[in-house]
Amino acid sequence: MSEIDENQIHERLKRLSQIEPAEEATSQAMQQVRDVLTKQQEEHSRVAASKPTALGMAERDKAIPKLRLRLPPLAVIKVAAAAMVLIAAGVIVGRLSAPSPIDVEELRAELEASLKSSLEPAIRQNVLDEVNSRWQSVFVANCAQLKDELAQQVRRDLTQFAAQSLAASGVQTQQQLRELIELIEAARIQDRRNIEAALEHIESQFGNGLVTLAARTSELQRLEQN
Amino acid sequence: MSGRHEELLEFLDKSGAELYALLTRLTLREDVAEELMQELFIKLSRSSGPNNEIGNWDAYARRAAINLAFDWRRGRRHAALQQLDEVPDPVSNEHSPLGRLIRSEELQETLDAIGRLKRASREALIRRYIQQESYDHIAEQMGKTSHQVRAMCSRAVNHLRRTVGPNHRQAT
Repeated sequence: MSEIDENQIHERLKRLSQIEPAEEATSQAMQQVRDVLTKQQEEHSRVAASKPTALGMAERDKAIPKLRLRLPPLAVIKVAAAAMVLIAAGVIVGRLSAPSPIDVEELRAELEASLKSSLEPAIRQNVLDEVNSRWQSVFVANCAQLKDELAQQVRRDLTQFAAQSLAASGVQTQQQLRELIELIEAARIQDRRNIEAALEHIESQFGNGLVTLAARTSELQRLEQN
Repeated sequence: MSGRHEELLEFLDKSGAELYALLTRLTLREDVAEELMQELFIKLSRSSGPNNEIGNWDAYARRAAINLAFDWRRGRRHAALQQLDEVPDPVSNEHSPLGRLIRSEELQETLDAIGRLKRASREALIRRYIQQESYDHIAEQMGKTSHQVRAMCSRAVNHLRRTVGPNHRQAT
């Protein structure tokens, strides 16, 4: 840490030492101080004048013996004794008639217990209500959110399921159609074979009979027409 | 009471101007110096009771003035910041307004650092470097030897070197 140059410090201190207040300000300040001191002095004098008894210790000492001489000493003793008796009696009566001192600790404990018993259920109920209401508000907010999320999830699942079902049923339908076509094709082949066999059987049984029958049939028709 | 009053008035005539200049240098404000001057003399009038004999009026008054000025500075630092308009003009009326402001800030900073010194060091430094009193006179007034006063002043200047300036400004 670099330090400021010592010369700079001296220069600043020198600048401070060169500060001179204006002469007017100085004389004004001194005049004000003079006024304040004079006022203070006057007040002191006034206070002293308003207290004639405060003339001095010597005069006060002179005044006190004069007062003592007016009362005979015996009378003073009697009055003092009577006063003491009265005061003592007052103190004794006061002590006896005074209520027993309050045990602050006991009072505090009782007060604490009573306050605790009266306030605790109410505070507990309040706290519970507060917690319930907070939970409820939080739950309602969360419930709506959960409902939305659930509905979206169900919709997504259903859409996915439908798409999968459609795809699966398409494949199955195609396969069944293919099987049906194969069956039909097989049945046609079988029919053709059966017809062929029948025709061969007929041909073997009747030979040219059919041709002859046909020729005769056509001849008979011609004759009928004529 | 009247005798003491006369004594105080005499002292005011003799050293009032010097005390006012000291207060002005330490507060950099003539109005404040005026108030502190009144406070100082009220204090002096109360301190000079029958049970409270002051041996050296001059030393006592200067010490009281220095303490009053630095008490005021401390109190002002704790008070709310002044508005810019309320910042008083520095007493010195040289150069441009900016230069004056910078110089005034430097002086304030130096005075703040002086305020952080120990009482005895502060008094010795102020009397030597601001009031330009001789070491012997200061030693006599403070009840110390000249050598002790020199050492105190030297330590005070070293302390100022450490606490005044850009490093200190950054640290604070």
